[in-house]
Amino acid sequence: MTTTPGTFVRCGLIGVVGVILQISGLGSGRILGGYLDLTPLIVAAVAIYGGSVAGAGMGFGVGLLLDLLVGQTMGVSSLVLTAVGYGVGRYREVRDPAHELMPIPVGAAATFAWTFAFAALSFMLEIGASVSFGVVREVIASTILGAIFAMPVFWLCRRVLRPVLLVDPLDLRRRRRGPREAGPIGLRGLEV
Amino acid sequence: MYDSKVIRRRRAALAVFVALSLGMLTMYFGESSGGVFHTLQRGAQEAFAPFETGANRALKPARDLFGWFGDTFEAKGENEDLRDEVADLRKELAEADSARADARELRGLVGLSNDDGFPQETEPVTARIIARTPTVWYSSVKIDKGSGDGIRVDMPVIASGGLFGKVTSVTGGTAEVRLITDASSKVSAQVMPAGAAGIVTPIVGDPNDLLLDHIAGDRRVTEGVRVATSGFKSDRFESLFPRGIPIGRVTKVDSAELDEFQRVHIEPYADVREADVVQVLTARGVSTQAGVPLQ
Repeated sequence: MTTTPGTFVRCGLIGVVGVILQISGLGSGRILGGYLDLTPLIVAAVAIYGGSVAGAGMGFGVGLLLDLLVGQTMGVSSLVLTAVGYGVGRYREVRDPAHELMPIPVGAAATFAWTFAFAALSFMLEIGASVSFGVVREVIASTILGAIFAMPVFWLCRRVLRPVLLVDPLDLRRRRRGPREAGPIGLRGLEV
Repeated sequence: MYDSKVIRRRRAALAVFVALSLGMLTMYFGESSGGVFHTLQRGAQEAFAPFETGANRALKPARDLFGWFGDTFEAKGENEDLRDEVADLRKELAEADSARADARELRGLVGLSNDDGFPQETEPVTARIIARTPTVWYSSVKIDKGSGDGIRVDMPVIASGGLFGKVTSVTGGTAEVRLITDASSKVSAQVMPAGAAGIVTPIVGDPNDLLLDHIAGDRRVTEGVRVATSGFKSDRFESLFPRGIPIGRVTKVDSAELDEFQRVHIEPYADVREADVVQVLTARGVSTQAGVPLQ
């Protein structure tokens, strides 16, 4: 990912829109005891397309904005989402995933890590907080929802970030296709 | 491969973000509600409030749709939970009904034994019905007491309300009881208190209707009167049933047969279809009824 002002604007746009959508609309819609959480998905999307540094920065920024707008303990969301973004980014850098369905497991893992770590951190920080089995159910349900909605969220983020990406994992996949065996004689055997 | 500069930059970035987060966390806990971060929060919330309001309105349809899915899933889950609860409650209700029915029957048996006119010192053995003939005739049942409990063939059996039948065969632990509604059943009976005597026979297939036959035509019988065993006894024969066991209540008098013999319909007191607990009268007992001459 390039480090131009356009990159920061695009990442900032994704983060602000995602957080506002999350706290204004999606946070109240519960399914199966959980809710769709866009924040880990957009952090993971930026991390998978931009790498670990971009992911960590996006996680920190989104977490900061979330903490500011929701009014919860400052730094908790930032800390967890920074770790999530960095982890996803490192996964991309080390494994270089290029499968079209890659967003599903990545989105599920990011959502699980976010909900689980946030719950654990909140439990440790908030003295007197009680934990019920509902927390586990919420983590599982949110993970499933994250997996379901990962594809469209990743697709949108990719659309926004594509002009500033140095390497697009899906383009990389296209480049890895084998040489053409059919078509015009002049193109056979060439990677086009 | 990344060069060391990239690695250092990456680790530094991570360290900075983590340090900033931990710093914010620490300072937030340390400051008062008027501190920097609290003020920053209030300012950010105020600044973003219009966006949030707009987004909230714009997203309402989507939120409603999302909520509809959620409600539907939860309603399905709730429906399943309620079904399970209904099943559990039905089971409990069935158990309670069964216990109540048993209690009612036992109470009825106790009440019957204490009834005026019921033969005393009959040494009843209480038994539970364990099998029934699978026909609409309700002709016989099997009980869980047998010869080991002192039960013998031809002993009278009562259920809650009145006469139920008689024992027709016995094993060590069970006995078969032929009901008063069986086609072969004949019970000498007497209308109370008038004293008109006759033979109670069944109407096969209708366990709620018995016939009191062979009543002398000059002995008027009216509806509603009580019919009990007569305990007939002569030089050569003796009724199997002791005197005074209630059988039923007269429900109808056939006027066409008033000439020579009367025939009246009786509704049995004992519910032969629903009874679960019965008592076998193992001793003949002593009649407490004032003797009414049989005719």
